[in-house]
Amino acid sequence: MFSLLAQIPLNAERLSAPGSKSWAGYVFTNSLIVAAVVAILVLVFARRATRKMALVPDRPSQNFFEAVIEALYGMLEGIVGPHMVARAFPLLATLFLFILASNWFGLLPGVGTVGFGTGRGPLLSLSELEAPLLRPANADLNLTLGMALVFMFFWALWSYQELGVGGFLHHTFGPKGEMKGFMRYVLIPIFAFVGLIEIISIAFRPVSLSLRLFGNIYAGENLMHTMSELGTTMGMPTAIAFLMKVIVPIPFYFLELLVGVVQALVFTLLCAVYIKLTTSHDESHEKAHDDAHAPHDKTAAPAH
Amino acid sequence: MTYLLLAESESIPQIFGLNWPAFIAQVLAFSIVLYVLKTYAFGPIINVLEERRKRIAEGQANAEKIKQQLAESEAKYRELLDKANVQSQKLIDEARQSGEAVKQRAVADATAEAERVSARAREQTQLEHDRVLSEVKRELGRLVIDTTAKVTGKVLTAEDQQRLGEETVRQLA
Repeated sequence: MFSLLAQIPLNAERLSAPGSKSWAGYVFTNSLIVAAVVAILVLVFARRATRKMALVPDRPSQNFFEAVIEALYGMLEGIVGPHMVARAFPLLATLFLFILASNWFGLLPGVGTVGFGTGRGPLLSLSELEAPLLRPANADLNLTLGMALVFMFFWALWSYQELGVGGFLHHTFGPKGEMKGFMRYVLIPIFAFVGLIEIISIAFRPVSLSLRLFGNIYAGENLMHTMSELGTTMGMPTAIAFLMKVIVPIPFYFLELLVGVVQALVFTLLCAVYIKLTTSHDESHEKAHDDAHAPHDKTAAPAH
Repeated sequence: MTYLLLAESESIPQIFGLNWPAFIAQVLAFSIVLYVLKTYAFGPIINVLEERRKRIAEGQANAEKIKQQLAESEAKYRELLDKANVQSQKLIDEARQSGEAVKQRAVADATAEAERVSARAREQTQLEHDRVLSEVKRELGRLVIDTTAKVTGKVLTAEDQQRLGEETVRQLA
């Protein structure tokens, strides 16, 4: 048995009537509302930025969006390589933008603090709040796991397109390097074992990706709530508790702004690295590829 | 409200609130964002960035080409200028030489003409002198004949007149 004290529950709260078992009751959670709002905001901004595209941009929205996309494109091209970037960029960029927007949206006043509950006064205190109307979208494992599985689907698709099933098995279990002769046969079982570990590692990627993001954002939300409630928890007079509610969370807002970017980057960069690991050709494969093309090059050379 | 999270009686999906409807809804929300951004945002932006990159590359290539052409034109211009300088110098030299020759020829012609005019003048002077002299001689001869005829008081014959004339001319010569 383990126990953890938290200001907010691990699961997103349903907005339907308590005890409802309907399909809609499961779907409409406070985190889904935030995810939908963030999705609409991102799409509206993207539409606004790309509505009247000009080669010489004269609108700040196009300028800003272009700068973000260009920076992301350059960074991701450096990881997945020019060969894969055209295919992988939309997914990776969407992951980054959506996660970042969700993380920062979760810091807006009202997220996690406005909702339903039973209290004594006209306004509920945080401790009386039972079902907030809004919850940071990434503080719901359904979303983070969903994004991780969408990524894994495309990762599997691109790996299949690039390597095929045989190529993937060879890439995972086959001996690496250019070892020949007896040593090669000695190392085959070791590489097969390493391949098995690699398969387990791949299987755990969606879990690690989703739990890392969920854990950080959920912890951040808990942290903000804990800091907001610090005065009350310590039994301070109402006025001081109110002041502490305003002042104490401020440094943590900056921390959470940073965490929001870092987690979006970590998720995106890890996905890019996973793509790179399977779709990039290793040296021996490159050499075999070059050797296979060498006769054509030699015959083609005099023509130049 | 503080939550005490227990993992004793609930499964992990239950603890984390994982359920298929919410999961599918979140996946759909993300997939819609992915589709719309890929189709309507990233595509046009990347096309514009690529187009701009091409334009910049073309601009740089053109600038390089223009720079090269300018250098070539400048070299050609300098070459032409040098050639023109040489040619003009040559023309000036030729003109100077030609002018000198014309001058010398003109001087020679003028000298020759002056000599010719001078010779003709001398010749005419001589002719005039001879004519005047012969006129004077003839007049003197006639005066001598007339004087002699008056002094002697006789009529001189043609032979006397011829003899006197010849004598006078001989005396004057």
